[in-house]
Amino acid sequence: MDNHALGKGPDADILEARRLKGDGSPWRERFFQLSLWASLAVGVVFLGSLLTYVVVEAWPRLDLRIVTNFPDIIDPSQAGAQSAIMGTIWVIAFTALYCLPVGFLTAIYLEEYAEPDRWWNRAVEINIQNLAAVPSIVYGILGLGIISRGLGFGQTVLTASLTLSLLVLPTVIIAAREAIRAVPQSIREASLALGATQWQTIWRQVLPAAVPGMATGSILALSRAIGEAAPLLLLGGLTFITFNPTGPDSPFTVLPIQIFNWISQSRAEFVSLAAAAIVILLVILLAMNSLAIWLRNRYSHRW
Amino acid sequence: MASPSEAPVSASGTSVPQVSYRDAPPLITPVFEVGGLSVFYGDHEAVRDVNMTIGGRQITAMIGPSGCGKSTVIRCFNRMNDLIPTARVAGKIRYHDEDLYGRDVDPIEVRRRIGMVFQKPNPFPKSIYDNIAYGPRVGGFKGDLDDLVEETLTHAALWDEVKDKLKTSALALSGGQQQRLCIARTIAVKPEVILMDEPCSALDPIATAKIEDLMEHLAQEFTIVVVTHNMQQAARVSHRTAFFTTDVGAEGERHGRLIEYDETARIFSNPSDQRTEDYITGRVG
Repeated sequence: MDNHALGKGPDADILEARRLKGDGSPWRERFFQLSLWASLAVGVVFLGSLLTYVVVEAWPRLDLRIVTNFPDIIDPSQAGAQSAIMGTIWVIAFTALYCLPVGFLTAIYLEEYAEPDRWWNRAVEINIQNLAAVPSIVYGILGLGIISRGLGFGQTVLTASLTLSLLVLPTVIIAAREAIRAVPQSIREASLALGATQWQTIWRQVLPAAVPGMATGSILALSRAIGEAAPLLLLGGLTFITFNPTGPDSPFTVLPIQIFNWISQSRAEFVSLAAAAIVILLVILLAMNSLAIWLRNRYSHRW
Repeated sequence: MASPSEAPVSASGTSVPQVSYRDAPPLITPVFEVGGLSVFYGDHEAVRDVNMTIGGRQITAMIGPSGCGKSTVIRCFNRMNDLIPTARVAGKIRYHDEDLYGRDVDPIEVRRRIGMVFQKPNPFPKSIYDNIAYGPRVGGFKGDLDDLVEETLTHAALWDEVKDKLKTSALALSGGQQQRLCIARTIAVKPEVILMDEPCSALDPIATAKIEDLMEHLAQEFTIVVVTHNMQQAARVSHRTAFFTTDVGAEGERHGRLIEYDETARIFSNPSDQRTEDYITGRVG
C-alpha cells in the first residue's frame, strides 16, 4: 500500500512472484468437497439400502392381493391390506377436511390482520412454533383423553383424524404463513389503493397468489401424518379389521398400524406382508409429494 | 440541512434545466388544504408542520433529497399510511371541505376518489384486461366492463399497444408499459386525484417521457400530485413545486420539513429560500 501512497505501482519482482500463483491450498478445497460428498453418501446409501431391503423382502407378496384382500390371521398367503389402505385414505381425507380450513384461516389472521407487536399475537405465534415440535405421542395422549374418551368419539375415523389434525395443524399454519408472506407487499398496496377492502385484497389477490405454496406445504404436512403410527396406536387403533370404513364413525385401521401388527407376528410370511404394506405406504407418500412438487412448479408465481 | 456525506447523488447534474415552465392555474378550487401536518412513526416525528394548498386539475410536484418526507406526505393524502401500524398523523388535511382523517371517513372511499401510482410498476399477476377491471369490479361497477376497459386504455394512450393482447399477462409488458397500465388501472376507478410516488424512478428516459406526456394529458381532467427525485421532471411537468428537506433538531433528530412551495417557474428561477436554491442548483443533495 505504501507504493500507492508514493504514487508508484508495486515493484516488478513482486508482481512477478504473484503472477498466476494461487496462494490457497488445494488440498483444503478437496477435503471440503470430499466431506460434502461423504455426508451426502451417508443419506443416499442409507435410504438406498433401506428401500432395497424392503423391496426384496416384499417381493414374494408384491401383487394385487395386498390391495384386494383383507387381513387374515390364519392364512398369510391370502392376507391383504385393503382395510388399512382404505382406512389411511379415510383418515387422511378427514384430517385434511378439519385441519386445512382452520390452518389457512389462522395463517391469514396471523399474516394479514394480527399486529405483531401485541403480546397475545406473539404468544400465539410462539405457541404454534412450539406445538410443531411436540412429539406425536403427546397428541396421541391428548386424542385418547379428550377426543376418544372425553367427547366419547371412541376408536373411530373421526377420533383419529381429529388427533392427526391437531398434530399437523402447526405445520400447516407455518407453511401457509410462509406462502402468504411471499406475496409482495406491493400487490396489497396496489389493490388497496384502488379502493379494495382488506378482505377483497386477501380474497382476490393474496390468496390466489399464495394458494400453490399453501397447497404444497399442506400436502407435505399431510404426508407426515400418513406415516404416523404412534398417536393412533395410543388411541387404540384397531389392528385386526376386516372391513373398510364406512364413515367417520366407523372403526378403522391404517397402514402404519397394520405394518406394526404384521411385524410383531412370528411367522416369516407376515414379515414379508409387512414389507409389501411398507411399499404401498411409500408409493402413496411418493404420489403425494410428487403432487406437491407439480403444484409448486405449475402454479408458482415469479414476481 | 443535509450534510454532504448523506446527500444523495443527484443524477440531474448541476445546472438549472433549460425549459419553459408551465403557467400555474390559480388555486381557486383547492383540493387539499394541509395545515400543521406532522407524521410520526412510533415516537419519531418523520415530517413536521407541513402547510400547503393543492389546487385542482394541475400537477403539483414534491421534490427534495432522500428522507425528506415527501413520500410520507403523499401517502397521507389517500391514507396509505394507515397500513403502517406505528404511523400516526397529527394536524389537518382537508379534502375539499372534509377532514380526511375525520372520525367517520372510510379510507376505502377515500382511495376510490384519490388513487395512487407507485414507484415500482406493480401490475397484478393477471391479464391486462383484469388489471384494468379490478378497481371497478371491487367497487361494484355495474356497467359494461368491456367498454370501460377500452375507454380507460384509450384515455391512457395504451389502447393501440395492447388491444390485441388484452387477455395476456400484464407481467409480459415492458416496465414503461406496466407503469402506464398502473396509471390506467387507477383512472378506471374514476378518481379525482392521482397521487404518483416517484412513478418514473424505475424507468428509462423514453418510458419516462411517455409517462410525462400522459401526466400532462391527464392533468386536464385530474389533479395530480407527483413525488419525484428528478428535478427536470418537476420543472417539465408541474405547475407548482414543493421543496422538502431534512431539518436536524437540537438533539440530532431529523424531521422532514416543507421549505418552499410556489409556482414551478418561481421555484426554479427565483426561489426565495437559500436551501431551495442550493438544492436546485445542485450545491446540496
